[in-house]
Formats: sequence, structure tokens, C-alpha cells
Amino acid sequence: MKTRRNSDTDIRDFRSPKFYFPLVLVVVLFCIPLVLKDPSWLQFLILIMFYAYLTCSWNIIGGFAGQLSLGHAAYIGIGAYTSTALYLHFGLSPWLGMFVGGVFAALVAVTVGYPCFKLRGAYFALASIAFAEVIRVVTENTYHIGSIEIRGPRGLLLPPLGHSPLAFQFLNKAYYYYIILIMMLIALLVTYRISKTKLGYSLSAIRNSLEAAQSLGVNVARCRVTAAATSAFLTALGGTFYAQLILYIFPEGVMGIIFSCEIAFIAIIGGRGTVFGPILGALIYIPASELTRMYLGGGRLLGIHMVILGIIVMMVMLFQPAGVIKPLRRAYLSFSKRLEKQSQKA
Amino acid sequence: MALFEIKNLTKNFGGLRAVDNLNLFINEGGILGLIGPNGAGKTTVFNLVNGFFSPDSGGILFKGENIEGSRPDVICKKGIGRVFQLVKPFGDMTVLDNVVVGVFSRVVSAKEAKKEARSVLDFVGLLKKKDILAGSLTIADRKRLELARALATEPKLLLLDELFAGLNPKETEEAVALVQKIRDMGVTIFVIEHVMQAVMTLSERIAVLHHGKKIAEGSPQEVAKDEDVIKAYLGGEYVFA
Amino acid sequence: MEIVMQAVISGLLMGAVYGLTALGLTLIFGIMKVINWAHGSFIMIGMFAGYWLWALTGIDPYLGLIIVVPFCFVLGYFVQDILIKPVFKSEVGVREPIGVLMLTAGLWIFLDNFALLLFGAFYRTARTSYTGLTYRIGEILVSAPRLYAFLITIGSAYILYVFLKKTKLGRAIRATGQDRDTASLMGIDIYHIYNISFGIAIAITGMVGALLVPFYYVHPSAGFVFDIRAFIIVVLGGLGSIPGAILGGLLIGLIESVGAQYMTATWTQGIIFGVFLAVLYIRPSGMFGFKQEW
Repeated sequence: MKTRRNSDTDIRDFRSPKFYFPLVLVVVLFCIPLVLKDPSWLQFLILIMFYAYLTCSWNIIGGFAGQLSLGHAAYIGIGAYTSTALYLHFGLSPWLGMFVGGVFAALVAVTVGYPCFKLRGAYFALASIAFAEVIRVVTENTYHIGSIEIRGPRGLLLPPLGHSPLAFQFLNKAYYYYIILIMMLIALLVTYRISKTKLGYSLSAIRNSLEAAQSLGVNVARCRVTAAATSAFLTALGGTFYAQLILYIFPEGVMGIIFSCEIAFIAIIGGRGTVFGPILGALIYIPASELTRMYLGGGRLLGIHMVILGIIVMMVMLFQPAGVIKPLRRAYLSFSKRLEKQSQKA
Repeated sequence: MALFEIKNLTKNFGGLRAVDNLNLFINEGGILGLIGPNGAGKTTVFNLVNGFFSPDSGGILFKGENIEGSRPDVICKKGIGRVFQLVKPFGDMTVLDNVVVGVFSRVVSAKEAKKEARSVLDFVGLLKKKDILAGSLTIADRKRLELARALATEPKLLLLDELFAGLNPKETEEAVALVQKIRDMGVTIFVIEHVMQAVMTLSERIAVLHHGKKIAEGSPQEVAKDEDVIKAYLGGEYVFA
Repeated sequence: MEIVMQAVISGLLMGAVYGLTALGLTLIFGIMKVINWAHGSFIMIGMFAGYWLWALTGIDPYLGLIIVVPFCFVLGYFVQDILIKPVFKSEVGVREPIGVLMLTAGLWIFLDNFALLLFGAFYRTARTSYTGLTYRIGEILVSAPRLYAFLITIGSAYILYVFLKKTKLGRAIRATGQDRDTASLMGIDIYHIYNISFGIAIAITGMVGALLVPFYYVHPSAGFVFDIRAFIIVVLGGLGSIPGAILGGLLIGLIESVGAQYMTATWTQGIIFGVFLAVLYIRPSGMFGFKQEW
């Protein structure tokens, strides 16, 4: 069992592979659309990054704070519906509506979701499911809010405008690619910063022992509120992106429990509580799911990607409960150490 | 004026009076030991001081200020640290990170926090193990870690709840020396203990709690000879675990 | 007035069934302190087992219980032994053991979607000789299959209660649930007990599924609907409490049935979730449950 963790080499050490490795990766990611033009491949990569983004945002609550939320899709829905409704009714650009949705989601997280935070483990998970379902049920039964159309279960349709940047719509998938890439990098940056500063340490402490954390001066309520609001805000932004990508939203599709579960499970497969775990999880799950859908899919085999998800989750829990990132990180560290030794010898 | 005072403190749980009109004080730089049979209410006193419970009546004064009923994290920031009876290490964090959490109560920068954490670990003798996950430490090291974490918040008053439980004689000796070193740094100490050798050596004064009431107070020698104390510990109707 | 009475009776009948679904869940929680997310999937399995037995061999669903119940017991026993036990063992000292939670959640996703794959998303029903049969008590109509389900439910709950209280095995199970370490010191093979308890819980759960076949639709997602209710009931009644599960079930059945008179089905669902959240905020240990540290 691993009992040591090297905290000495920092990512800011410029000569360390820990720094230029990710940098190279980022550069590569930015260059891909210049080379790859096929829209279905771009869509595939967009989906991976989209789920990675959502899962990173989820990770603030589910990983750092250790509260297993199985209702995060509620925030996706809030984001998607807010920006879409504001656009359809007031003509407000989704770029702005996105942030309105984010703030709204943060408010909901803090007021409605917050009392749930006192609950632990499975109780919290149950409450989060109930929370998301209540929001979904309410949305499904709402046809108007004042004069703003919500249209209940039929959902909202965004008029396809072709290439219309101000309305957050593009014909060329590459634009969506870059947007989600930037969003994903921002989410990574945010989670990384959190993990290295007081908030991250406090959340970890709370996760391990509430009383000890309090006795050490951690303001539990404030930490949880901050974490909840941040997570909800970021998730909601993802909801707007999603709405603008597929141009049609309806309650089951953006707030459904399956969506929530996918996000949570991806984080767990990859390694929740770590910064890069969610990305890894998305890299494992989305290709598996999309490829099975493409090659084995069709009417007869519907739901097979979920079957695969279920199997992966069980396998991970049986054999590598800390997430796939653990053995990978070990390999990565020993590899970069070897590189360091070599460059020192040179 | 004493640094720390408990005045007429009372706490009931349902029908049970856990703490009954308790009066205690500790002067700055002193060490007060609190002993008594199991179930006497000692840990409840700590929970009241620390902010986990609110008293039903009475007050707790620290540096002249009433702190009863405040939140635990507020009380920590005012300068009271606590070591728990059942140690609560942050298991999936490293030893260093555990202490960093404590330092963050008064420091903002992570870099500075890590530096200070290192010196605290050095003080308690855990620096070599700074990268080990706290969950895999031995019991003696876990206690050291609890101490280090509490010290990291730079308390003026330190609450030690059965620090010496489960330690072998050598470890006990080391722990006593460490506590004395802490006192010499200017920290006032409030000890709950069952391990008599340790608490008698450390404390200048001892108070004895029985059924939530103080039944004796004085120097260790005086208390050891007190009849009520002997009856409380060895008396017929009371099962001394 | 009769309408309300009718609703109350229907609600109680259905409520007992809900209570039984919650029973399996609360049993697992009470004994093993584990939440089985795949609970609904097992209801669904029982349902399909009963249905296919009837569709392929013509055996009456109630008679088929003789086959379905032991089948589910064996299934539960092995799921616990092969899947849950290893994860459970590796988490014995851990403070928040979510590994088993995650495992059962994965199992849930797997089972529900696998059933979808195998059986398709069709809604099936079993039309038996008594499917449409109703009895008349005064002004009130009582659906026969629901009545039978109710009676079998109450009967089984009682048998379970007696089993746990009076038999040696039942006592061993309760002992393990109360204090695992002491029980093992007393010579009880706790993992064997866990296997059996899980088996019993799944047997009950599967039985409920089979009981539903004569009057409810059979569909891979049917389990999920009951699952959510079961969780709500278990929280309401208190995790680990058998009477709590039955009473909680009756309560939910009532709310649903009476509520349906005045508002749409989705609103009653929403209300139930709302009540659930309220209970969680106010009194997480439920009406009778153990005060949990978490």
C-alpha cells in the first residue's frame, strides 16, 4: 500500500517534466483542429472535454469535499434553461445568459442544496438525487414563468442560426472545440488552485474529520458554501454550452439522473479528489461509450454504453477503488523521475 | 486575573446532569489536570470549552472574554487548541498537510504554511515522516501529529484529552517531556488523564470530577490523599474500568 | 367521501407492498450498514422472473413464487459473496465506506441496462384469471391481485419478524448487525451471515417484484421507480427498523393515493421527494431508526 507521497517537486519547477509535459499536451490540444477537420471526430473530442469539464466541476463537491452528489445534472439544467429561456424571450445573448445561469445555480446550491451538506455519505447522495428530481419534476410541470415559455416536458428549441458568434452558435465544430477546451482548462486551473490553497486543505480536512477540522479553525459552513457555489456555477456554464451545442433541451435530457450518475461515476473511475482524475475518467468512459454506441449501437442494443459504465465502475471498485489515476500517477512519477535523472546526468 | 476560568458550568443531557456547577481556573503558564472515574463528565467539559456543546448555565472565560456557546473554529482562532481522546488524523493526507491545515488558521499563503508546518513537525519529532499518509502512522505518532496540528494554530491554551492513553512507558516519558517543552514555550495546559503517573508528574494542580461535580482540588499530593477521591475511584457501587 | 375512502384503501394496499420493498433495503442496512443502490434492479429481476415463468410455462405468478423466491435468495447470496464482500472487507476500517456504495451503484446501472438490452423497452403485463377481478366491500372496490399482494406482504413481514426474533439463525443475524466484532468472537461466521442476510433481503425484494406482475407493468425501469420510493420509506421509517419500513410504506402509499385525487402524478412524486428532503433535514434518523453518526 502506498504510504508516501512526494510533495517536494512543484509544478512550477520549470525544468521538471511535471511542467513541460502538460504544457506540451495543451499545445497539442490546441493544434488538433488545425489538422483534424472531420466534424464527427471533433464532436467526439468535444464530448470528451465536455464531460471532463463537468466532472472537474463536480469534483469540487464530490472529490474535495467528499460529498457524493448524484444530482449535479440539476445545475446543468438550470444553466441550460436559464440562458436559453432568456435568449428566446429577451434576446439576451447566451454568452451573458451563461453567467446569469451560473449565478442562479450557485444561489440554488447555497440555499436549497446547503442544508443537505450536513448529511453524510449515502444520506447526502440520496438527498442529492431527490433534489435533482424535484427540480426536474418542477420543470416538467412548468409551462410558463410569467410570460417566459418553459414548455414543460416538450422542452425548448433553439432556432439554428448557422454561424452566429454573438448568439453562441457556429457551423464549424472547431469553434465549439476551442470553447470547451478553454472551459476545461479553466476548470482544471480552478480545481488545481483550490487543491493547493487553504480552501482545498480545509475541504480535505472536513472530509476526513469534521470535528478535528473545526478544532483547527476551519469554518466548515463557509468552506462548504464556497465549494457548493463554485461547483454549481461552473457546472451551469457547462449547461449553457450543451444547449448551444445541441440546440434542443428538455428536462429529462439535461437534468436526468442518468446524466448525474455519468458525471459522478466518471470522477470515481478516474479518481475523485484528484485534480486530473476526472479527465482520466472521461478519457476512459466517453470513448468506450461512444464507440460501443457507434459499432454496437442501434435500436436493438440501446443502453449498452450504460451497461459498460456499470461494469467499469464495478471493476474499478473491486480492484482499484482510488481510481485509475493512482497506478497511472505512480507510473508517471517514476517515468518523470527517470527523465530528471537522465537530464541531470547530461 | 486567570487566563482561563470556568464559572458555575452546568450541562444536562436529557435527565442526566453531566456537568454540575463546575468552577475551575488556570493561571497563565500553568498546568491543570482533570481526573475522575470514567463517565465523570471530563470530556464533556472539554466539549463545552471547545465549542461542541453549549452549557445550560454558567460561563467560560478566556482572556477575560466569555466564550461559552461559540463555534469550535471561532474558539480555535481565539487561541484554544484541542487534542482529541480518539485521535482523528486526516487519514488520506500526508503528515505535513495535516499540520498545514492547522497553520492555515492564522496564515494565508500556502508556501508559508508549509514552512511553518515543517518547523512544528520538527518540534514534535515527526519531520522525517512528513510525506507519509497520516492513516498509516502508529498510535504514538498519531498522537504526536494531533499535538503538532493543535500547536500549529499557536494556541495560548491547549486541551489535552487522554493524550497518554495507549502509550508504552518509554513513549509516555517522551510525551511528558514534550508537554513540558510546550509549557516552557508559554502555552497553558489543561489535561484530562487516566494515566496517573503522567498527570501527577505534569500537573501543578489537579481537580477531581465525579458525577459531574468537583469533589477535590489541590496539589497532586493533596488530592492523592483525599478521602473522597479514594472513595470515588475505589468505592463499592462504582465500577472502575 | 367514498372516493377518499377508496383512495385510502388502495393506498394502504399498495403501501404495504412499498413497505415490503423497503424491508429488504432496511434489513441490509441494519445488518451490514450498507446501502444497496441496486435494490430496484432486484425488484425488477423478481418481476421478470415471475413474468417469464408465467409467460413461458403458464405457471401462476403466485405459485411461481415458490421458484422465484429461492432463486432470488441464491442470487443475493452470490452477489454478496462475490461482489460485495471483497470491497466490504477492504473498507473495514474506513470512515466513510463508499466503496460498497459505488459498487452497488455500478451494479444498478449494469443490471437495469442489461435488462433493457435483453428484454427491450416494451411494457408487458401478465393477464391472469384474476387480473381484472375486484371484490366489493360495501361501496369500496378492492382489486383482487392487490389484495393478495397485501396479504402476502403482511404475512411475509410477520414471518420475517418471527424468524429474526425466535430462531437461532435469526438471533445470529441480529447479533451480527448489532456488534460485528463481538458476534465473530462468539463464533459466528459473520461473512456467512452477511451472505445469508443479503440472500434473504434479495429474496424478499424479488418476491415483491413477482407479486407485482399480475397488476403492474413489467419493464426494465419499473424497478427504479420502486427503488426511489423504497429509499424514501427507509429514511422515513428509519434505517434498520422493520416496523418503520412497513409503516413508512403505508404512509407513502397513502400520500400517493390520496394525493392522486387532487393533483397529477408527477406532482405527487414531487411532493414525496419534498417530504423526503424535509425528513432528511429535520430528522435523518427517521421515525424509528438508529441515530447514525453519518
